Amino acid sequence: MTNAAATRPPVTRSGVASALMPGLGQILLGQKYRGGGILIGFLIMLGTVAWYKDPAWYFSPAVIWLWNIFDAVSLAGGKARSILLPLAAGLLAAYGIGWQVVGIDFGKADLDRAAAILRPMANPDFIQTRREKNEMWVNIQVPCSSEPPLARREDAGRVAMVIPDCGTVGETLIVSASGMWPDTDTEVLWRTPIGDPKMVGEGESQMLVARSDESGVVTTAVRVPTTALVAAPDPTLAQFHRVYFYQYRPLGGIELSYVGGEVVKGALATVSMALLATGLAMLFAIPLSFLAAHNLMSGNPLTYAVYVIVRTLFNILRSIESLIIAIVFVVIVGLGPFAGMLALAVHSVAALGKLYSEVIEGIDQGPIEALRASGANWLQTVRYAVIPQIVPPFTAFTIYRWDINVRSATIIGFVGGGGIGFLLVELIRVNNMRGVSAAFIAIAVVVIVLDYFSAKLRERLV
Amino acid sequence: MLRIQNVSKTYPNGTQALKNVSFDVKDGEFLVVIGLSGSGKSTLLRCINRLIDPTEGQIFLDDVDITAAPPAKLRQIRRKIGMVFQQFNLVKRSSVMTNVLSGRLGYVNPWTSLIGLWSADEKKRAIEALGRVGIADKAGARADALSGGQQQRVGIARALMQEPNLILADEPVASLDPVLSHSILQYLEQLNKEGITVICSLHFLDLVHRYATRVVALKDGIKVFEGSAQEIDRARFKEIYGEEAQEVRAASV
Repeated sequence: MTNAAATRPPVTRSGVASALMPGLGQILLGQKYRGGGILIGFLIMLGTVAWYKDPAWYFSPAVIWLWNIFDAVSLAGGKARSILLPLAAGLLAAYGIGWQVVGIDFGKADLDRAAAILRPMANPDFIQTRREKNEMWVNIQVPCSSEPPLARREDAGRVAMVIPDCGTVGETLIVSASGMWPDTDTEVLWRTPIGDPKMVGEGESQMLVARSDESGVVTTAVRVPTTALVAAPDPTLAQFHRVYFYQYRPLGGIELSYVGGEVVKGALATVSMALLATGLAMLFAIPLSFLAAHNLMSGNPLTYAVYVIVRTLFNILRSIESLIIAIVFVVIVGLGPFAGMLALAVHSVAALGKLYSEVIEGIDQGPIEALRASGANWLQTVRYAVIPQIVPPFTAFTIYRWDINVRSATIIGFVGGGGIGFLLVELIRVNNMRGVSAAFIAIAVVVIVLDYFSAKLRERLV
Repeated sequence: MLRIQNVSKTYPNGTQALKNVSFDVKDGEFLVVIGLSGSGKSTLLRCINRLIDPTEGQIFLDDVDITAAPPAKLRQIRRKIGMVFQQFNLVKRSSVMTNVLSGRLGYVNPWTSLIGLWSADEKKRAIEALGRVGIADKAGARADALSGGQQQRVGIARALMQEPNLILADEPVASLDPVLSHSILQYLEQLNKEGITVICSLHFLDLVHRYATRVVALKDGIKVFEGSAQEIDRARFKEIYGEEAQEVRAASV
């Protein structure tokens, strides 16, 4: 014991000190870090429990406090105690509070809802059998004017008509079309004057399908959709809506579905957005990386200042997630892949610049010395001793960055950065789970393929 | 051919690597520089082709003052001085051929060399240089695919491309095992017999005895001995390497 001048025995003294303030006993015994750690741990635990206001968790700081007294007393006797017990008490409380804060509740899981989402996902909307379309429509006035025109239209030997000639919301009409393909399922769809499709099947949430007879006549009853006039500027004003008839028949073979086509376009946009961003970033990163290379810039105070500034800039930009930068660019240049591309480029300049500068810092000075010794001029030395050393790793890092950027571009699409991420959000919003599934698959395929080839390519370069 | 006059070198951090060193090198000599690590051997060799600028003194090559040469003149002087390094100093990712050709940069048109164009003549010369060190078949290999001994031979071939009158070899065998050491030094000896003056720094005294026509010894940047290898007896050895030193021998051929 160093504090031999203490009036009370050190065992009691340190115990009392630690009881008054956790860790104090240990500090008095010369264990500054142990005591400080105990005090900080105790305060954090006490603060957490106090903030959460559930008295049951006070057991945790209590255990730490009791253990701390025990440890101080024991330490005075020359023996430190294992910190396992207070650590376990702290972790238990942290996890318990965390569990309650997060609101983990497996009872909330709804298997029916999960099934409703997952079932269509098992059948991604990517390709479909090739088919031809037979489309026919007729105008119908809603609501009725004083003298509604005849709801009848002839086109290419086909006739479509509605009885009566006009209707009001909720009224049932008889629609029919003749000269259509015989014995074929026919989709019947309502379109408002601005072209908005309204399904008129069960509950207005399903497609109404009627079958044509052997002479090519389709007849069915249609209720004017309840939402037919929601977008109308004046619901009392008579306007022409349309009833559409669609027939399809297979042509043999398969083709991309509409959503499938959009998914392919989105994936291409994402890959090229990443490619452009990486290329643009490379252009800026190469010159900047030389300014951020310690071995080149530490020569005099001025260049060293430039080095520090560029390095700091890189570190700041790198620490901002490209997703955040994307939100800023969406505000500046609007929604779309351009905003996403700029965000990726800004982030990549910093990331690539740092990697490049580390390559430059790591080059072997030997060949440079050898070529100078042989009478080569400065440019020749750079061409034959520096460039061969930096080009392969630069290329490898650039490809790797492209790979990363494709992944980031997908996520950036979520905040309006365009590409497949944007499409995915749209599909989720309209609950098109078959489309969502197709987009998921496309993302996975793009990422896996790119990952594979970038790894192969880099292997050859390094 | 080479006259070193009162050369001193003080590095910016204050280290005095060379203190008033003077000696002459005659045409066709195989001069070996010995001394402990840090005694100034590398600095001395690098002062000769001015990879390091001496702080004081002059160095004359065939009566031309190297220390006063302006940059363009210096490059002209350098291309007649080949250099071989302890760590070979090859571009590891480049091919052996490119490494050897790069020894020729001081002679060729700088602009065509920048786009990597080499005349058939230069390529033939490179293959010949590789042939002289016995590895003409390795021309297409990447430099780092070669063994240490082979890499050093590429280093010698690169120096040969300069058609040098003088070769500076900075501990050319310190990274190699003893058997390879002899093989590399025999190549240098061969070149020396063909008329190229060689200045070589070495560690092992038995190698010095075997190859040197003359020896200069440095200790803490001061020349402490100049003479033939045979003159280095026990007393001299202790003087150069310190009282504690024990002679270590490289394996003989």
